[in-house]
Amino acid sequence: MKMNRRAFIGSLATGAAVSIHAGGADAAARRVIIVGGGMGGAALAKYLRLWSNKSIDVTLVEPNATYVSNIMSNLVITGQFQRASLNFDYASLVKKYGVKVVVGRVTGISDLVGGVREVTVSRGGATSILRAEKVALSPGISFSPVARFGSGDVVPILHAWVAGPQTELLKKQLAAMPAGGRFVLTIPKAPFRCPPGPYERACLVADFLKREKPGSKVLVLDENPGIVAEAENFGRAFSQTYRGVIEYRPGTKVVGVSNNNKTLRYKSVTATESDPYLSVSAAVMNVIPPNRANAIAQSAGLTDLSGFAPVDVRTFESTIAGKRGIHVLGDASSNTGLPKAGHVGNQGAKICAAAIINKFDGMAVEKSPVANSACFSPITNTKASWLTAVYHYDVDQKKMVVKAMSNGELVPADPVEAAQPTAENFAQMKIWYKVLMSDTFA
Amino acid sequence: MKTFLSLFLGMSVLLLGSAAAQADARLLASNCFQCHGTDGRDNRFEDLAGKSARDIYDEMKEMQREPSRSNIMYPHANGYTDRELRAIADYFASLRKP
Repeated sequence: MKMNRRAFIGSLATGAAVSIHAGGADAAARRVIIVGGGMGGAALAKYLRLWSNKSIDVTLVEPNATYVSNIMSNLVITGQFQRASLNFDYASLVKKYGVKVVVGRVTGISDLVGGVREVTVSRGGATSILRAEKVALSPGISFSPVARFGSGDVVPILHAWVAGPQTELLKKQLAAMPAGGRFVLTIPKAPFRCPPGPYERACLVADFLKREKPGSKVLVLDENPGIVAEAENFGRAFSQTYRGVIEYRPGTKVVGVSNNNKTLRYKSVTATESDPYLSVSAAVMNVIPPNRANAIAQSAGLTDLSGFAPVDVRTFESTIAGKRGIHVLGDASSNTGLPKAGHVGNQGAKICAAAIINKFDGMAVEKSPVANSACFSPITNTKASWLTAVYHYDVDQKKMVVKAMSNGELVPADPVEAAQPTAENFAQMKIWYKVLMSDTFA
Repeated sequence: MKTFLSLFLGMSVLLLGSAAAQADARLLASNCFQCHGTDGRDNRFEDLAGKSARDIYDEMKEMQREPSRSNIMYPHANGYTDRELRAIADYFASLRKP
């Protein structure tokens, strides 16, 4: 075939038309609604706008006007950091990136009709409908119910595992604890939000009590067979730094909490139904119930028996039948291989943002994403430890796996923790927190 | 004309390929953003935007060889392949200095 000039111009024009479309002339066809403005949702909103050159219309729906960080909240409980240091608003996402923020609660997500989903938002008693080609949920966690016993009114479980009013309440109760009192902390079966978090809390509370409430004890009841993350540093802290203060009992599960939160019943995880329970009373009863995905993920039919939302980690798209095309990220997602943590939630959001942009552009998604994990944990009020890992997508396991270089080859590996807690790590922890939150919210 | 057309198509494929490769490199390099700022523009640890690819790569290789657990970057650097480190270094080198 002889290619003449006109035909050649024709093919150029077609190419141009395609690229204009992909570039976002038709913004109405490139809308994303994000449900939840935490570490995952905020980072997803920012990077969808930034990496699409603002060609994707992004609406973030979040019940609270201010995000309260879970990271660093243990240092607020002991009174060392100000409560306000946990607050982050959405002003930068709106001003710098053009994200639309709706303060409201999502109550429903429709099926895909004509390529569009309807999201029902309730705010101040009024209900409105938002429409978008894609919907992504980063709703965070909620808790499984805990059995209660005893008489009197039921006082809500004090978990302080979603930062906010409960963080302040636990701080108040800790400050009011009598010297020589007992603080009980229970840790649910993994997976739960922030694997090092409960052990960090035990250390910081013990450190506070040692200084402020002499003779007090911390009893840690862990449903897991051992310390879930940073076993070396936390193990050493429990057995040496806080010897005589922290008593650690792995392999124990909560079977009931009294209505007034003052007494707790527990058993060995291997005990049977008919075996007797043990009982302990406490001045402060800090029970972290088993975690699961937040209610909206449950009611939208995105969760499985685990209570979390299974996804394909290359796109964070739901793998539940009939729910393909809805993305779930952050602590609510599962089958990713990634830990539930803010730093990792931020990276998952970037993987999800790139995948959504590529899908809008008709391009293939990244086949082998990489996600880094890095976090600092205070062990005392002046010294911190850290944990890091780099996760690579594993085609056989269809999820992310920790890998590291060994003799010039990438091989399966374990996360690596600091040799010991140091003041330098504590200083770096404060910088890490500030830059991480900037990368997410600013 | 045929040669010209195939040259044109070849270039388009190359351009598309490099745009996709650039997006992949950006996603990979975004692993550094949590501590080095969006696009490596935060100097509270160290900014990376506009640094020479050679310097970034060499520094990462040096940290890879450091077995100590005294600094989080030593084991962290060891989580990336040579190809990944080069892609990350090239990405930051392609950006303007903050």
